Amino acid sequence: MAVTDTETPIHRVLIVGAGFSGLGTALRLQQEGIDDIVILERASEIGGTWRDNTYPGAACDIPSNLYSFSFAQNPAWSRSYAGSNEIMEYIHWLADAYGLRRYIRFNQRVQGLSYDSEEGIWTATTEQGETVRARQAVMAQGPLSNPSYPNIPGLNDFQGRVVHSADWDHDYDFNGKRVAVIGTGASGVQIVPELAKQASKLRVFQRTPCWIMPRLDFRKPEWQKTLFNKVPSAQAAIRKGLFLAHESMATGIIWDTPVNNALERLARAHIRHQVKDRWLRRQVTPEFKLGCKRVLMSSDYYPALQQDNCELITWPIVAINENGIRTAEGIEHQFDCLVFATGFSVPKTGTPFPVYGENGRELGSEWEKGAQAYKSINVAGYPNLFMIFGPNSGPGHNSALVYIEAQIEYIVKSVTTLRSLGVKAMDVREDVQKRHNQHLQKRLARTTWNSGCNSWYLTEDGFNATMYPGFATQYARQMKQVRLEDYRLVSSTGQ
Amino acid sequence: MANIDLNEMLDKVRNSQWALADIDWDKPGADRISAEQWPKLKDFMSDLMWIEHVGARGFAALSKNAEDPTLKEIYAYFHAEEQRHANAEMALMRRWGMLDGDDLPQPNVNLRLTIEWLDRYSDDMPLEVLGSVIPMLEIALDGALLKFLLEEVDDPLCHEVFEKINADEARHLGVDFHVMEMLGKGRMHQRIIKTVGTVANPKLILGVLAYAPLLNRMRDNIVAMGLKEERLYEAMGKYERIGGRTDEGRRNPWFQIISRHGKMVVDRNHIYHKPVDALVKASNYIPTRLLGPVPTWVEKLTWRPTA
Repeated sequence: MAVTDTETPIHRVLIVGAGFSGLGTALRLQQEGIDDIVILERASEIGGTWRDNTYPGAACDIPSNLYSFSFAQNPAWSRSYAGSNEIMEYIHWLADAYGLRRYIRFNQRVQGLSYDSEEGIWTATTEQGETVRARQAVMAQGPLSNPSYPNIPGLNDFQGRVVHSADWDHDYDFNGKRVAVIGTGASGVQIVPELAKQASKLRVFQRTPCWIMPRLDFRKPEWQKTLFNKVPSAQAAIRKGLFLAHESMATGIIWDTPVNNALERLARAHIRHQVKDRWLRRQVTPEFKLGCKRVLMSSDYYPALQQDNCELITWPIVAINENGIRTAEGIEHQFDCLVFATGFSVPKTGTPFPVYGENGRELGSEWEKGAQAYKSINVAGYPNLFMIFGPNSGPGHNSALVYIEAQIEYIVKSVTTLRSLGVKAMDVREDVQKRHNQHLQKRLARTTWNSGCNSWYLTEDGFNATMYPGFATQYARQMKQVRLEDYRLVSSTGQ
Repeated sequence: MANIDLNEMLDKVRNSQWALADIDWDKPGADRISAEQWPKLKDFMSDLMWIEHVGARGFAALSKNAEDPTLKEIYAYFHAEEQRHANAEMALMRRWGMLDGDDLPQPNVNLRLTIEWLDRYSDDMPLEVLGSVIPMLEIALDGALLKFLLEEVDDPLCHEVFEKINADEARHLGVDFHVMEMLGKGRMHQRIIKTVGTVANPKLILGVLAYAPLLNRMRDNIVAMGLKEERLYEAMGKYERIGGRTDEGRRNPWFQIISRHGKMVVDRNHIYHKPVDALVKASNYIPTRLLGPVPTWVEKLTWRPTA
């Protein structure tokens, strides 16, 4: 509910989260001369999902030149696909080079955000007792921030070590251990090749296989780093080329087209080339259309599965007990350590903390059946609230940072527009938001994501609140302009 | 229609899981197998274990072909459960000193051919074929073989194990017949055209050439062990009765084909046996080494409760 407070200073912008999105927003606002910013970060360190994902083999599926901000390029990437350490170094560099740390208040877990219509002020309260007030609020907590555990009976009974990919235990020595990896998604396929080098016995528990494309990872030559340093436009050109190459993949990943069939054939050829055994090939070949779930990239996952110390187990998991995992073929698989590579619980309904808008309306209950927003960034009834990676802004084929950047630019434009117009609040119109979502859902119905598989993109009812059904170029184009006619503008006098 | 709610059935299956580790394999009673019984029982258990294992692979193919996600998951469980039965039967064989070290019992040549066929072609078979054949095998297993075994064997642990196996099989049969009736829905002419198309499929013809001699060899082995043929008649009768109790069930062309075939199999005087017995004999001359190593899914069988 609205909080009336006259003592707490009112800042220009409040940002929740100091990951890529939060820092990028602060950086761009700062470049536009807005530096009255507060960033609330729940951890004691910046980096968001890359701070949390430090498991062995953690890396990005998008080439580094594209998985970075266009307004803060790094000419020195060491590999075509950077690992999490190097991405973290980049994030630290962003914070240090642009002086962003001064905005951050660490160890502040937001427990609620509420809007005061009278004053046009957002108030955030934290579990640690801090209150921050600001004219604009940016929710940049990220969709990939809360580790997800599968619903397996007996999960807490296991007596050995339990490790989650998003909360890696770097003190645990996997050498010579009997290890289970549960989950074969994005983190699973990266962890398995690394653990296969250390564990005496590695069992990989798979429920559904994913389509995996070969990953053309290579060490970047020194001359390229020198070139990018001296001629930044060369790096920009490479980035553009990579962007366009990924854009072209949309035709095969988002929609069921001949390109989709060609990509599926390529993925099958990858399996045939790397997996000699017919039964294992059958086990690792997905039954759903390529693109319906996230397409993964790895050239060392299938070979790792075929190492002598490694085995893929596809029997349904029945329970976990003190010794290990029981599967439905009646065998108890015993381990020293269980590794959950089960990713994050991505909110498709509700909000990560209560968000109260105009007249006490609560966003979580409005999103109970599935989240909806206008251009993924604003929600009617919640003036001056912006979201990064809000509903329907997920890409299946291109760099998430391209979308994030478009959202950041939109926020910067909105904040500067509000200032220049002397307007207290901008609130997207309900009818505009409704029309926008009807159009989105119509387009989503024709995508591979809605082609019948169960994925984290969809709610239990099959509603897609996660992905953007189009090219990144289309998304960025719609974010280029803040259409004031789509908003209800409230002047300082309340009109 | 067999009124089965597949979601409820899936819950029931999930809640009825058991493991080899739940059983005390060293419990007293293993010595109740007589010296006279031992060699026949060894062959019987070996055949039984292989039937379960081959059935498991059949369910894997059904799981791949089922469009309904709940049915798909049920079949994935049934695949694992049949494997569990084979594992448990191997554990009983080990208890009775019938395993040679860690080695699997040797499959006969007809089993090897069937395993090869399942490995290569079963995933390409329409749901109608395996969805109608597997219930017949299961009813023979449940109605004849397991009952016979429990009458013959005194070891209390054997009864304990097969009580669990039977409870699983009862659920399998419930789903089997539900699906058979589902497959009888739709327009008759479309079903007939589809059936004719499938019958002419060379992969299915190869399957029949592997399956028919296997059934004859198994029937002869089992009868040689003392199983009364009436038991098999009864099982076939049960398949016909339950599978054909509704219009939908009777309209499933594959039910008609398989129930007629079942009747021929159990009638020793039927002319059907001339060519099939000849195939059994001919298969004796197939050098199994030409078939190469068994598929790796066979190597997943184990009598060990823990891994």
